[in-house]
Amino acid sequence: MTTMTAAWKRIRIAAVAAMAVVAWTGTALAQEFEKVENIPRQEIPAGRFVSIAYGIIWLAVLAYVVMVAAGVKRVNQELADLKRKVDRTGLKG
Amino acid sequence: MRSLGTGFWVAVALAAVGFLVVPTLILQSPIEPNMGFVQKIFYFHVPCAIMMFLSTFVCAGGSIAYLFRGSERGDRLAVAAAELGVLFGVCTLTTGPLWGRKAWGVWWQWDARLTTSLLLFLMLVAYLLARRYGGPAGRKLAAALSLFAAINVPLVYKSVDIWRTVHPKTTVVTTLDTRMRIAFWSSFLLITLVWTVLLIIRMRLERARAELAALRLDAEDELAEGRP
Repeated sequence: MTTMTAAWKRIRIAAVAAMAVVAWTGTALAQEFEKVENIPRQEIPAGRFVSIAYGIIWLAVLAYVVMVAAGVKRVNQELADLKRKVDRTGLKG
Repeated sequence: MRSLGTGFWVAVALAAVGFLVVPTLILQSPIEPNMGFVQKIFYFHVPCAIMMFLSTFVCAGGSIAYLFRGSERGDRLAVAAAELGVLFGVCTLTTGPLWGRKAWGVWWQWDARLTTSLLLFLMLVAYLLARRYGGPAGRKLAAALSLFAAINVPLVYKSVDIWRTVHPKTTVVTTLDTRMRIAFWSSFLLITLVWTVLLIIRMRLERARAELAALRLDAEDELAEGRP
């Protein structure tokens, strides 16, 4: 029992010491930051962003139209194939 | 495929005119003092988001008709709307980060509006995947999924009012300056026209596919009967 209590005491002391070290290191690091006034703001060209956004929308719509058109073409082709097959076998349409 | 009606071609013509007029109106609208020129993304980002919401509701409506009345037309409407939801979802989720990068300094924030929008988009993608890879029950599974997506829409819309978020609030449209309002509503009209035209052509393609499948079945039946 006494051994357990002594072990817990040691663990507590070690934990407090570890926390103190971490806190001290953090403060030391934080103190290394320097406040700088009047830094020029990072300028991102807004015009380019607006153009890209507008372009993305129309490209997406165009891509979708192309996709649907390809689908229509495929359906028409399959329909023609089927018609040819039916004609060849002499079945009524 | 049958020929498209006059209304369709009028919509196409109006969309073509809008494609030329709307960017001019957007450029002529006043510059927003806080965000500057990048705020102009708003004029097409918001209509795209509204089209994603509309697509989800239309998809859910079509799915209800399919689930409860077995309507094939409802199913065709649902799949066309879901695809458009994904299309306009892509537009919303790519134009938004472009605006955010300039206005907030970051491409993405895991805040309520952005996260719920992404979830809505993923639900629509899941709808299409369930249809494609869900096997025989795929269409019904997808239809049920679309109902959950529709429930998510009001949450996406109200998220900016319920939670604290970096995204502009829903009231922003009602407080616009007159010239900004003209640019916004004309852009909204253009994107709605484009959405309508795409929905019509996509539904027609789906109908043509269904007719082709029916014809193929008939031909196979007749071939089987005609065999000695």
